[in-house]
Amino acid sequence: MCFTLIVEEEIPLNRPSQRLSWRLFTLGVLSGVLTLVLAYARRHEVIPPRLMWLAALGPVLPMAAYFWGLDRLLRGLDEMQRLIHLEALFIQFGVTAFLVLCYGALAEAGVLPNYPIGTAWPWVWLLMFGSWALGQIVVRRKYR
Amino acid sequence: MNNRLRVLRAERSWSQADLAERLRVSRQTVNAIETGKYDPSLPLAFGIARLFDQPIEEIFFPDGGLPTPTRSRPA
Repeated sequence: MCFTLIVEEEIPLNRPSQRLSWRLFTLGVLSGVLTLVLAYARRHEVIPPRLMWLAALGPVLPMAAYFWGLDRLLRGLDEMQRLIHLEALFIQFGVTAFLVLCYGALAEAGVLPNYPIGTAWPWVWLLMFGSWALGQIVVRRKYR
Repeated sequence: MNNRLRVLRAERSWSQADLAERLRVSRQTVNAIETGKYDPSLPLAFGIARLFDQPIEEIFFPDGGLPTPTRSRPA
């Protein structure tokens, strides 16, 4: 499977930070693609009802592959790379929280449509992923 | 904080990658330390001092300062 290949690929020891970033990026894209494909399949009733739970959890499965190798990867990062990831996570948290709160307030006021959480979560995930990628770019540039 | 890492590395004709491998950090970390964008932790700073066989204060010094000359210790 594609995410198994990602976890086991050999990359030089001095590049674990890039490896972690690429792994997260790949898994994020894979999760997004699975979300779209499974949403399409559910809408067209291709999936039998007894397997609906599997289709619903499908987009989350790539994250299981991520956590599988995360501990080993984090131990391979040096102190500055850990700091870069930590700062990127701060940016991700700040941007996501700010935008979700803004959207929530605007939806509550009737300015924007008020989607239920069941349909809105893929967008929150994409927002988290996008703001994490933005954080990586900003922080890496700072230490370059 | 400033440092003499680039000079010490050049004296030994090591590339940033060579030094990174010896310190078991990434080349980007060595570059960030040399350019003063990142201050290493105490364990890493001591590791650098040990690698170059010099006191830590002769490698790292405050902004605008100079390396502290080593004094011979009394016997």
